[in-house]
Amino acid sequence: MSSISIRDVRKSYGNTTQAAVERLSIEIPQSDFLCLLGPSGCGKTTTLRMIAGLEHPTAGRIHLGDRTIVSVDDGVYVPAEKRGMGLVFQNYALWPHMTVEQNIEFGLKLRKVPKAERDAIIGEVLKKLAIDRYRTRLPSQLSGGQQQRVALARMLALKPDIILLDEPLSNLDAKLRLEMRAELKRIHQELGSTIVFVTHDQWEAMTLATTIAVMSEGQLQQLGTPDDIYERPANRFVAEFVGNLPINIIELGSGRSGALVGWMRDRLAARTLPQPAGSVGIRPESVRLTRSIVEGAREARVVEVVPTGGSWIVELSVDGEQFFAIAGELPDATRGDQVFFHVEPQHLHIFDVDGRRIAA
Amino acid sequence: MRNFGKAIYNYRVHNQDPTTMVGVGLVVLFAYLIAAPILLLLSDAFFVQFADQARSGQSMGELTLYYFNRVFLSAIATDVFWRPLLHTATIAFGAIVVALAVGIPMAWLISRTDMPGKTWFATVLIIPYMLPSWTFALAWQTLFKNRTTGGQPSWMEALGFAPPDWLAYGALPITLILALHYTPFVILLFGNALRQFDSTLEDSARVIGAGNGLIARKIILPLMLPSLVSACTLIFAKCLGDFGVAYILGVPVGYDVLATSLFRAISTSQTGMGAILALTIVVLGTISITLDMYLLKEARRFVVIGSKGSMNRTTSLRGYRLPAAGLATLVFLVSAVIPLLALAMTTVMKVPGVFALDNFTLAYWIGSDLGTTALKQGILLTPEFWQATWNTLWIVGLAALGAGFLGLLVGYAVTRTSSTMIATFLRQVTFLPYLVPGIAFAAAYLSMFAVQRGPVPALYGTPIILVLAILADQMPFASRAGISAMMQLGHDPEEAARIAGAGWFRRLASVVVPIQKGALVTGVLLPFISGIKGLSLVVVLAVPGTDVLTTYALRLVDYGYGQAANAVVLMICIIAFGGTLIVQKLTKSKLSDGLGGK
Repeated sequence: MSSISIRDVRKSYGNTTQAAVERLSIEIPQSDFLCLLGPSGCGKTTTLRMIAGLEHPTAGRIHLGDRTIVSVDDGVYVPAEKRGMGLVFQNYALWPHMTVEQNIEFGLKLRKVPKAERDAIIGEVLKKLAIDRYRTRLPSQLSGGQQQRVALARMLALKPDIILLDEPLSNLDAKLRLEMRAELKRIHQELGSTIVFVTHDQWEAMTLATTIAVMSEGQLQQLGTPDDIYERPANRFVAEFVGNLPINIIELGSGRSGALVGWMRDRLAARTLPQPAGSVGIRPESVRLTRSIVEGAREARVVEVVPTGGSWIVELSVDGEQFFAIAGELPDATRGDQVFFHVEPQHLHIFDVDGRRIAA
Repeated sequence: MRNFGKAIYNYRVHNQDPTTMVGVGLVVLFAYLIAAPILLLLSDAFFVQFADQARSGQSMGELTLYYFNRVFLSAIATDVFWRPLLHTATIAFGAIVVALAVGIPMAWLISRTDMPGKTWFATVLIIPYMLPSWTFALAWQTLFKNRTTGGQPSWMEALGFAPPDWLAYGALPITLILALHYTPFVILLFGNALRQFDSTLEDSARVIGAGNGLIARKIILPLMLPSLVSACTLIFAKCLGDFGVAYILGVPVGYDVLATSLFRAISTSQTGMGAILALTIVVLGTISITLDMYLLKEARRFVVIGSKGSMNRTTSLRGYRLPAAGLATLVFLVSAVIPLLALAMTTVMKVPGVFALDNFTLAYWIGSDLGTTALKQGILLTPEFWQATWNTLWIVGLAALGAGFLGLLVGYAVTRTSSTMIATFLRQVTFLPYLVPGIAFAAAYLSMFAVQRGPVPALYGTPIILVLAILADQMPFASRAGISAMMQLGHDPEEAARIAGAGWFRRLASVVVPIQKGALVTGVLLPFISGIKGLSLVVVLAVPGTDVLTTYALRLVDYGYGQAANAVVLMICIIAFGGTLIVQKLTKSKLSDGLGGK
């Protein structure tokens, strides 16, 4: 009933040739927690708004379970108010002239829920989100975090099968973010609703989602579990976008030379690849540092060791070329020291000349 | 089949809610209420009218330059156009000079010195602008008129002086009155500019060694210039269209300005000539407003540079504090207290200006046997007065309500429609009346509604034409207010309501209108006040049966019932002044905030 399927959806504005969303197809199974992840302007919010009905696709279809809500070629379009979804806006969009209680009650009234039942539901959601003492306040009298909870409560009161969240955590401070993240996870587990969550924060996506859809320039780059996305990035964009410290990329194209290129060509020589490699990505945390030489290691000089609390970023210089490693323990080397680094073969992300992952 | 599906899809998407339909409805409405009358008026200028067939030698409806020649080149051109133009220019420039001479020092004293009571002065020096300009013309007449026009003696005459004509009528009093009425423009615009002036700009010049004179010339003046020129263009535009003052103080001695010349053309049914005159005023007005908009844009460019270091430093007046306050008091006395007091006193005096106890009476308010031909009892006992009051309240009230709601609806349509064509048209058409002086706009309404057109019967003589004309005339303010309110609202609250399941009407009723309650109240009250004060529009369109307070007062002036007229005018002043105060209280805003953004 509450699965979502997006098929060949395209969205362009006016006469621009560049589409905001290009031939997007995503199947979101019931009770999934899908994160739309990408840099700003990648089309993730547009996608969410098309599901909600606040934007209309230029082409394609959207189905909810077996109900078609959008089909451009068949002339089907269900307006937002008839889709019965829940949406929490980035800036909460509480109605400024209504109290907390009235904000929550509005949708229930529209659904002609009797007064007694309405009060019960309002009491319940207010309690669940720990905001019952703000019942009669106006949104302007609440802090950002409290407003956020009211927005969530307003949405939850209607018990939607599908919950859409548009960067709901981005306006909160770090501590509140953590709290709300836990709250969202709890809500998902309790209600079993299908959730679509838009964010540009990969950590948020990694910790919350069951499925992540990485988008860039209106196109879906990869759809997969958080581990898939991180361990097996489908292309260079995903590899470079996901990861706290940017991935090390070694360009192997023709005419490329240098210490790292030479080292990597040696490492790949033994392997048979279906296509020639265009580049290789190495996550800093896959890099192993040693003081003595081991099989397949390369010599480097330590430029800087930066503590980040619990781990250390080690900036290396390989004959003048920059290379990053993350050490889980305090490295026994300091600035200027000579070290060796190596990478296990399974941690090499090999891409073809067009940037697509080569399954090794 | 596929294309058919797509067509249905597009139709459904664009008609999810009736925004576009509302937009189209508004386009039609304002094309009818604003664009059509103005176009019709302008077309009158170039087509032969029924009455002019013989003189022009052409038959009715033919394209002609007859009116053009008549207004600009014929034997009567001097009387009809050139002399009134010269008079208008004289008055406008004189008013600008006086307003600057009075306004600049006052603005400086209020905003950048330690003059005692400057906050109080900041309010009271604006009072002349809250009252109708022709109020002051009546006050002048009460004080200075002479035997040239007859009627009741003025205070001066009662005191034994005979004011010469140049003092009693014509250029001098008209100029002075318009100057005093529009001095608040200078005080508000120049004062705001002074207040927002970034003191760090001055400091940085001083740091590199510039003296006071150099700073004033090279830093402050260039930055203040846009506000001053803006005040000048606004005053010019207002003087162009001002009818009441010249009608009271100029017409009796044959001193015509463009607005009164236009009024005469219209009241003598010379529609074609009236149209040419109206067109001329519209063109001149458009030029000055365009210039003003351009300058405001320029000024905004300066504001960006001027950052946030606002000026709160004041110049110490030292020993001149009291003289400065004295000067401000003098301006206040001359521009508000004396005129209003003169009007008020007159209404309780049998012979104006005679301060003998037995000369005082309340008869003109509540007396019952005055012995005059047409007005036998005090104004408060006169049914016509109450009729006019009632007419004012419901006609102007209805128009203001309509303008307020339509303004918000225009704001909604402009900000929500996907059609830029509708949005642009609505913006421009609702602004149009601002460029057309009241007399010309009234003339346009006469052309449009004096005869039956299609299913719409002739409306002249009915209150409907007044309601429609006042409503249309107030649309520039109402739609500006509506558009800016809707822009500030953003899409979110409505989208949230859609998600909650609310349809279009529900969203409008439960979300948009309640949130915009404040804007709506202002959008109704401001047109109401402005409509009550307005004279030039209604003077053309009202007939005795549909008299509002302003036209009723003017009729009393024409009959020579000075005391009664002044009493009515006082009532208008009280309503206008009180209303302005209420709006300021309600919106916690100052009149000055609304001035810049026009």
